[in-house]
Amino acid sequence: MKRVWLLVAVALLVPSLAWAQEEAPKIEITFWHAMGGWRVPLIERMVEDFNLQFPWIHVTVEYKGSYTDTLNAALAAARAGEGPHVFHSFEVGTQLLVDSGIIVPAEDLIDQFGVIVPWQDYIPPVLNYYRVNGRLHSFPWNSSNPIVYYNKSILDAAGVTLPRKPTYDDIIAVSQAVVDAGLAEYGITWPVHSWFFEQWMANQGVDLVNNENGRAGYATEINLLHEAAIRIVEWWKYLYDNGLWVSPGRSWSQARQIFVSGQSAMLISSTSDVRAMENASVEQGFELGTAFLPIPTGVERHGVIIGGGSLWVTGGHPPEELEAAVTFVTWMSQVAQDIRWHQGTGYFPLRLTSLQALELEGWFDRFPNYRTAFDQLQETQLITATQGAMMGVFVEARSIILDAVEAVLAGDKTIQQALEEAKATIDQALLDYKELMEG
Amino acid sequence: MRSKFPSRWLPYVLLFPTLALCGLFLYYPVVQSFRLSTYRAILMGLHQKYVGLENYVRLFTSSDYLNSLKVTFIFAFGVVLIGLSISLAIALLANRKVRGARIYRIALIWPYALSPAVAGSIWLFLLNPTVGVVNYVLKELFGISPDWMSNGNLALLAVTMAAAWKNMGYNIVFFLAGLQNVPGEVLEAARVDGAGPWRTFWSVTFPMLSPTTFFLLIMNLIYAFFGGFGLISVMTEGGPAQATNILIYKLYQDAFRFQKWGTAAAQSVVLFIMVVALTLIQFRTTGRRVHYGGN
Repeated sequence: MKRVWLLVAVALLVPSLAWAQEEAPKIEITFWHAMGGWRVPLIERMVEDFNLQFPWIHVTVEYKGSYTDTLNAALAAARAGEGPHVFHSFEVGTQLLVDSGIIVPAEDLIDQFGVIVPWQDYIPPVLNYYRVNGRLHSFPWNSSNPIVYYNKSILDAAGVTLPRKPTYDDIIAVSQAVVDAGLAEYGITWPVHSWFFEQWMANQGVDLVNNENGRAGYATEINLLHEAAIRIVEWWKYLYDNGLWVSPGRSWSQARQIFVSGQSAMLISSTSDVRAMENASVEQGFELGTAFLPIPTGVERHGVIIGGGSLWVTGGHPPEELEAAVTFVTWMSQVAQDIRWHQGTGYFPLRLTSLQALELEGWFDRFPNYRTAFDQLQETQLITATQGAMMGVFVEARSIILDAVEAVLAGDKTIQQALEEAKATIDQALLDYKELMEG
Repeated sequence: MRSKFPSRWLPYVLLFPTLALCGLFLYYPVVQSFRLSTYRAILMGLHQKYVGLENYVRLFTSSDYLNSLKVTFIFAFGVVLIGLSISLAIALLANRKVRGARIYRIALIWPYALSPAVAGSIWLFLLNPTVGVVNYVLKELFGISPDWMSNGNLALLAVTMAAAWKNMGYNIVFFLAGLQNVPGEVLEAARVDGAGPWRTFWSVTFPMLSPTTFFLLIMNLIYAFFGGFGLISVMTEGGPAQATNILIYKLYQDAFRFQKWGTAAAQSVVLFIMVVALTLIQFRTTGRRVHYGGN
């Protein structure tokens, strides 16, 4: 009988002990992100590690769907006074978020809590994108830019090589050679996405919108009638009309699929695909090569805009929670996490120290394709064009640009006509936005 | 025979939960939509400015919106025509007394159970210009390989087919039920009078099916206007160059992707008026012009 009582006592004691441990006050913060697929478990493991390292903080991580979904969810929650402490947004949402009033600028937080962040160790173009009116507004996280992936086995068989810094004509020549030799059905593919158009504008050193690319004040006009814009669409149309480029629609995965299955010899896509492409090339048994984003022949190369996303902190929380949020976001770009994130996804390391560490480790020698994007970024000139445009209506502008490109490709409109109409629609949207914000 | 409530207030007490829910989740948002449609607003209304009827004026002078109206009507017409005619033909076949009829009938309803996202992905895969089955067959037979999702007309045809197919299971179930209600003696009388199967169908079966057909017509219209969203979202996102941007998708795009809440609210008011019109037509004409057989 005694034994039974002992068991009962123990049974009562154990959970209460566990309870007591749970009771230690933890600062609860939430983190919403927009990275699907294989990145979800990676992020969850990183957050788990953070929670272990900082036992007084508990971060709850949630995947909220696309960037747009995450943005809308954060806006709605913030309006209801329950915004996530940290959320992840794409680069083109920057102006909108700055104007939204739901966020606290990154540099304000840093100052408020006296956190020391070695900004000089961050790669300049990355910080530059998120600097608005001279102040950093969000914490850079996943950064990428577009590069050319090519099937070296096909190119070798056709007896052609793609220069490391190709021109538009190089792409045409290689595509033509591959198609003529019957080695692939198409020369090249990339998703029908305005991102590439924007990158090609920047690469030619041309601002996408006026007012110093929207960074000196609200933009009121888009540069769609600039010769740089026309060059891009002309080339795209030429490739399409001659059966050298195949449309995967707006789907990134379709584009990858067309390339991986060998139907197209080249692909232009984000550097965040490096890992997936490396794996696919091994599975499919071809040699993978990478090159810089092509540029119109005879035009000086200015570099690329950093694409991807950053982490934003929303206001309206008690100071200790905000401080915990800052601890978390700065931890995410510390060297160890930075390297892990780069190796796991292909997004850039953000820190120079991470780069050196990777260099020492021989990472880039083993995987030279990771280096391409990086060199491309480091050779980028720091001008407003490559800093990236600021538009409150960026998402809509993207869609209008795509409509114009699609109408040109389908032969429904001439290049001039399509771009003129697109410009008129976007300019109106820019004016409406400016008017609304300036009251 | 009317029952009396013991108290004057009891009916209101009983109605209260329903009215409260409807008020909160239906009427309040409707009123808000009307209000928002007179504002220019972004970020879910975090910034807004009164603009009167500007949103409506812009809508009906915007080539994109007029195009969206046109696309919606073509899409709805296509979904109704393709959907109803093929469903009726299949229902007629499935209604015959053949071995395993039940299995066929169940199999025919399957597409309806698929989510639009899955159905959309299946169609995308079938119509993929490089690895799709449809183009493989077309290439073998006719030597052509159309680029379905890059050509506006083909893309519209593709989403129309997909939407019609997706709703076929629903149509077939109702047509089958309708067909089984056609009295055998009437059909027999027609046969005795010397009518062939073709004549029997058009003179007897089809008129007797008209209540079902009419019901399905309205349901399919509503489906095309509002249910097309999922498929469009997965298959084309309204592209290429607006060719498949039906009203409901455009509304979603303007609100949730482009943050143009005022314009989107104005569009929802227009859609609201359309639904009211459709519903009125349904109420008015039910019971007339359609042949309800038997008693």
